[in-house]
Amino acid sequence: MIFFDIGLTLALTICVIGIVYRVARWNGEWTSRKPQLSSGFLLWIGRAVKSLILDVVLLARSGRTSFLRWLAHSLVFFGFMGLLLFHAMDETVTATFFPFYESTLDPWQFLRNLFGAMTLVGLVLMVYRRVHSTKLRLLTHFQDWAALLILGCIILSGFFLEASKIMSPAVFDRMTDEYFVPGEVGDLTALKAYWAHEYGVVFSVEYPMDEETLELGASLDEDSCVDCHANTATAFVSRPLATVLTPVAFALNTSRADQVFWYFHVIFCFIALAALPFGKFFHPVSTPINLVVRQGRRDDLEGFQPSAVCRSVGMDACTRCGECSLHCSVAPAFTVLGNQNILPSEKLASLKQFQTGELISQAGLTAFSEGSRICTECLRCTDICPAGINLQDLWIASKARITKLAPSPNDLLRNKTATQRARVFDDLCKSSSILPAVTGLADDSASYWACVQCTTCTSVCPVVAVCEDPSRDLDLLPQQIMNLLRMGLKEETLGARMVWSCTTCYKCQEHCPQNIRVADVLYELRNTVAARVRDGGASCEGNGESL
Amino acid sequence: MKYAYFPGCKIPHHLPEYGASVEAVCKALDIELVPLEFNCCGWPVRHENELASIFSAVRNFAVAEKAGLPIFTPCKCCFGNLKYAQSRMAEDEKLSGQVESLLVQDGLALPKSMDVFHMLTILDEQVGAEILYRRTANPLEGVKVACHYGCHALRPGNVTGFDDPMAPTVFERIMQAIGAEPVDWDLRLECCGYPLRGRDDTISEALMRKKLEDAASVGADVMATACTYCQLQFDKERDGLPYSDPLRKAPPAVLVSQLIGIALGLEANALGLERNCIPWHGPGF
Repeated sequence: MIFFDIGLTLALTICVIGIVYRVARWNGEWTSRKPQLSSGFLLWIGRAVKSLILDVVLLARSGRTSFLRWLAHSLVFFGFMGLLLFHAMDETVTATFFPFYESTLDPWQFLRNLFGAMTLVGLVLMVYRRVHSTKLRLLTHFQDWAALLILGCIILSGFFLEASKIMSPAVFDRMTDEYFVPGEVGDLTALKAYWAHEYGVVFSVEYPMDEETLELGASLDEDSCVDCHANTATAFVSRPLATVLTPVAFALNTSRADQVFWYFHVIFCFIALAALPFGKFFHPVSTPINLVVRQGRRDDLEGFQPSAVCRSVGMDACTRCGECSLHCSVAPAFTVLGNQNILPSEKLASLKQFQTGELISQAGLTAFSEGSRICTECLRCTDICPAGINLQDLWIASKARITKLAPSPNDLLRNKTATQRARVFDDLCKSSSILPAVTGLADDSASYWACVQCTTCTSVCPVVAVCEDPSRDLDLLPQQIMNLLRMGLKEETLGARMVWSCTTCYKCQEHCPQNIRVADVLYELRNTVAARVRDGGASCEGNGESL
Repeated sequence: MKYAYFPGCKIPHHLPEYGASVEAVCKALDIELVPLEFNCCGWPVRHENELASIFSAVRNFAVAEKAGLPIFTPCKCCFGNLKYAQSRMAEDEKLSGQVESLLVQDGLALPKSMDVFHMLTILDEQVGAEILYRRTANPLEGVKVACHYGCHALRPGNVTGFDDPMAPTVFERIMQAIGAEPVDWDLRLECCGYPLRGRDDTISEALMRKKLEDAASVGADVMATACTYCQLQFDKERDGLPYSDPLRKAPPAVLVSQLIGIALGLEANALGLERNCIPWHGPGF
């Protein structure tokens, strides 16, 4: 048992230190007011209890996403909790409530199989969902597979452990040596025959299976064994498994497979315990806390500003189930641009790194910033999140800070002086791997061939109209931009404030007597720069910094 | 009348009163709105990448076609971008092919028809001024309304086909039907400035100021909006001005669905009027 004690101590230590570390970090750098509760404390408690029952225990929020998802999660949740409380912690929980508890008696033997089977079915459903759905498969990471694998190994090794014990003559011998006192010479043979016949022990020799011997065996079993041993048939998974393994029983029994599986089972349990504070494994702790604290609200209480702690708990509560990304309203932009930071579940992972200062590469910041920018704050991720995270608040609260570190093209431009703006973007990668799928108008001088520089576009432009000094505030006027493009001087237009301060109201285009698509061209110029920034974040050093 | 309801991204969190009032008014006028899981119209991402924008828009058409319904939207920017995508798909075969392959990846098919209507068009053509007039229980008599058109529905006129881009009348017709008095104002077809929020706040605010002053100068009581972005600009963003700013006294922005709702005699609660930042105290309301 030294192995067990050392292993458990080690795993528990890692677990506790990890949890303390993780909880200690629940105070990131956020700018917000202190939380204040406007409604009464009792009301708050009431709602928290309601949330605990509905959202945590009954997984109501998961139920809103899809039935299969809810079923899989419920099976794993109830199955695993049953095993944890009544099997793993049987000495503290079960034995307290049931003084005559023996793990080999029913209903425990049956329940252990039931909980194990529930968990296993749930895990299989989870794997099925993640393999079957193309979108979900893309959102599945190492941690998801690792969690499924470790849980699966715990359950499977448990079933194999029990099956190997059921069939093991060595285990049988140990029990009879300790607890069985044969009265007559044939007693032990009769008991062995009975156990081989009824309980599935696979002995290396055949015992007589006549009625008389079995009857004697039955009465001996009745006298000595049944107080602690229910029929193994109620272990409805392990017993059939033992039957299936009968052809290899000899090999398993001589190699003491029961001990081997015990080590496997215990080691997997220790791994799971030690992994609890890390990454996704932490969600069984943080998600219920988040659900109870937020009480399933998608908004914040009146006068209640989310505190730094609430936000950090929220970020930790993410299980990366991918449900938000499946319903994200800007997911089509991800399909085209391939930036994972557009999807909320992935963006949250970047936000976590960003908060803890782990996200340092310029490419990572650029990608996160773009994801932040493309989000339309439509509330759908917050609405759907089964863990009840206020994602909307996280996005809005982080937007300003990421923009400072990895500015949008618009912000890059506005940080420059007038002279710098002339060719501000031309040091960014011009060979974009993701082509700025645009109309191609700007590069085609024929688009402006008909332009007669009549200045109609400029004179109807509302932006030009509200500027005190248009050439100072806008650098170039619409008709000047059209003229530069006609001459092939596209680089000179990209940094012009006019391009970035266009409201896209289309008055220029509507009024152009020569049908030149002025506004469409301005959109296209922005697209060109956005594509360069996207690539420049990864491979260019300048990031639009040069003159 | 049955439509796929396309509220756009801003209504759920940023302007829920628009969603609430649109749904209330449509219910009262027997327009059935079917909620479908649409994605973003693609307008915001058009500044970043056109293909992403067009794909977003066309994907919505594919979703609507699967349900066999035309799209109904109360947002002019959403309407404008959906129409823009439709015209780009028709004029560019290569683009259309790219979008089709993206749709197929998503398990959707290229939509054959791309029908989208702005709410004003539905009210004007499907409900009609006469029915609106007859259903009006509470005519907005004496209320001078400055109708705010919204750029992306009007222009480019050949793409959106919404109304005459130089001299539109649909908004005024609807306001007249509910008894209000539309005013003529110079800047009614100009941009609200919201697209520049966060990009160039100075110009955005200057545009807002100029328009509100113009509407005030012709004696308008309210500025009627029929676009999520326009309302956000003239109500929520204006509310960020200091209390002493005279612009706060300019005509309050009221959503077209709120005005119609009042005229139809709907509950103020259902119209979300109390959520407007710059309150409107109309005569008798």
